[in-house]
Amino acid sequence: MTDRAPIRTASPNVDARAGDEDVLPPYDWAPGRPPNPRVRAVWVVGSIVAVLVLGRLYIAPHLQIRPLQAWSTVFLAICVQALPFLVFGVALSAAITTFVPPAFWTRALPRRPAAAVPVAGAAGAVLPGCECASVPVAGGLMARGVTPAAALAFLLSAPAINPVVLVATGVAFPGRPEMVVARFVASLTVAVLAGWLWAAFGRGEWLRVPARPHVAGARRWDAFRQTMRHDLMHAGGFLVVGGAAAATLTVAVPPGWVAALAGVPIVSVLVLALLAVLLSVCSEADAFVASSLTPFSSTAMLAFMVVGPMVDLKLIALQSATFGPRFAVRFIPLTFALAVGVSALTGLVLL
Amino acid sequence: MRKATQNLLLVMIGVALLHITVISGDYVNYVRPAFQIMLIGAAAVIVLLGVVGFWIETRDLDHDDGDRRAEQENHHGARAPRTAWLLFLPILGIFLVAPPALGSFTASRAATRTAPAAPPPPQEGYAPLPDGPPVVMSISDYVGRAYAPQIGRPATLPGHQVVLTGFVMPGPGSAWYLTRMRIACCAADAIAMQVIVRGAPMPPKDAWVQVTGMWGPPATTTTRTVFQPIMASSVRRIPKPPNTYE
Repeated sequence: MTDRAPIRTASPNVDARAGDEDVLPPYDWAPGRPPNPRVRAVWVVGSIVAVLVLGRLYIAPHLQIRPLQAWSTVFLAICVQALPFLVFGVALSAAITTFVPPAFWTRALPRRPAAAVPVAGAAGAVLPGCECASVPVAGGLMARGVTPAAALAFLLSAPAINPVVLVATGVAFPGRPEMVVARFVASLTVAVLAGWLWAAFGRGEWLRVPARPHVAGARRWDAFRQTMRHDLMHAGGFLVVGGAAAATLTVAVPPGWVAALAGVPIVSVLVLALLAVLLSVCSEADAFVASSLTPFSSTAMLAFMVVGPMVDLKLIALQSATFGPRFAVRFIPLTFALAVGVSALTGLVLL
Repeated sequence: MRKATQNLLLVMIGVALLHITVISGDYVNYVRPAFQIMLIGAAAVIVLLGVVGFWIETRDLDHDDGDRRAEQENHHGARAPRTAWLLFLPILGIFLVAPPALGSFTASRAATRTAPAAPPPPQEGYAPLPDGPPVVMSISDYVGRAYAPQIGRPATLPGHQVVLTGFVMPGPGSAWYLTRMRIACCAADAIAMQVIVRGAPMPPKDAWVQVTGMWGPPATTTTRTVFQPIMASSVRRIPKPPNTYE
């Protein structure tokens, strides 16, 4: 039963007690023979893989419950699709905090937060990724001394106005370049306004800036590796929470219920804004979903595309994990209100 | 969560991703096939992170005593929050549920049976169909072409035999729907594309079929929320395609 021991000792309860049980399993379990961690690990991996393969062969064919399957498909789809972007994001974030000297950011960005915010917002146009990548990157920027307001403007604008997303929007709305322009203008405006409001009214104690001790020399690679693993574990757990919530809503909310509200002018904008939060579609795909919501007005579709990359269930989970719940309860409602308001105004002017 | 478990978890996530992308091919049930390279790359990075972490940290353990170990475990960044345990959920989902692609359950959930919106037409408009044998096309393409005259673009379907592929869903009266889910990025954004099949008996529900036939005008032409019909000349059962989305 040597292979059982590590599984038991790695349970969350033991983990919560921390510190005092770092030598696991206790030496007295196998007196006179100190456990070799590598042999143990091979046992653990081997037995887990065996259980999973047996499960795939004997359990999966019998789990033909259609709501469960539909839920699992959407849940896995969100997790699987987000993971490469998350890996890219945490790698970039770890590189920012371990390899880029802090002095670089003070030179690259204007000193005054009011001026740094629009610059950082516009810089979001060059990060080709969706929202899962931008949260850890913004955390890394803050850890390296970038004004939080500027990092937040970058966090909001990067997933919405990067070239990949704008091209996808153009493809989803053929012959309607004004949708692309409206999306760019509205998203950048919301990002800059949110950054300025945070610079003016935000308090330092609301925001938990990820701690990143600066290291030099050969230990950098080790710090890079540890930071990346830490961020991946941290954000990944919350991504799973967001994915599960979004899958539940996709399976539970009847689409007909949403379409019934399409005709009401102001309500329809709010309905699609809320739908963007609940569905948590990746920003590179949301234009296709928006263009399929044909009963709704163009302004409502714009609100869907502006809100989605800035506020959705998986982002709420990721932001709470990275910057703390006290930040999330303030910043997320602020962003949502700004996104809806600016979309409505942009829609009036441009669409 | 201690370091050793984190390394193990990373390896397991990477293995699960490699399993669905390289071995079982299940990833097409969740995301577009174009994601394969990115997923393999991400999986490789994750496995590497776990294996290198495991290698370095067990190497240290071989030489160090318990005190040094305790100090390392408490050092910044060593422990992950308990939410990290949730990362086992997708792994369990991939192996124990192994859910199939979205199908009629999701497609039938639209409470009011409104037809799906036509997909955006290509920038240069739809090309005329060639004469000769029936043209194989996606249901999205068919619906888009059928809808084109309503927005002032040339009609390309009348007079041509086409072949559509999808699964069977029951419809009103003796008619039935040929359905296929369309995804832009992942299954979370799936939309059911449907045409109504007339002139052929309904195969069993959920069966995969190829319908050969011609476009016929829908019952009412006033709104765009009307299912485009296909007048079937033949219906052929086929095995479920590897990628069920279009």
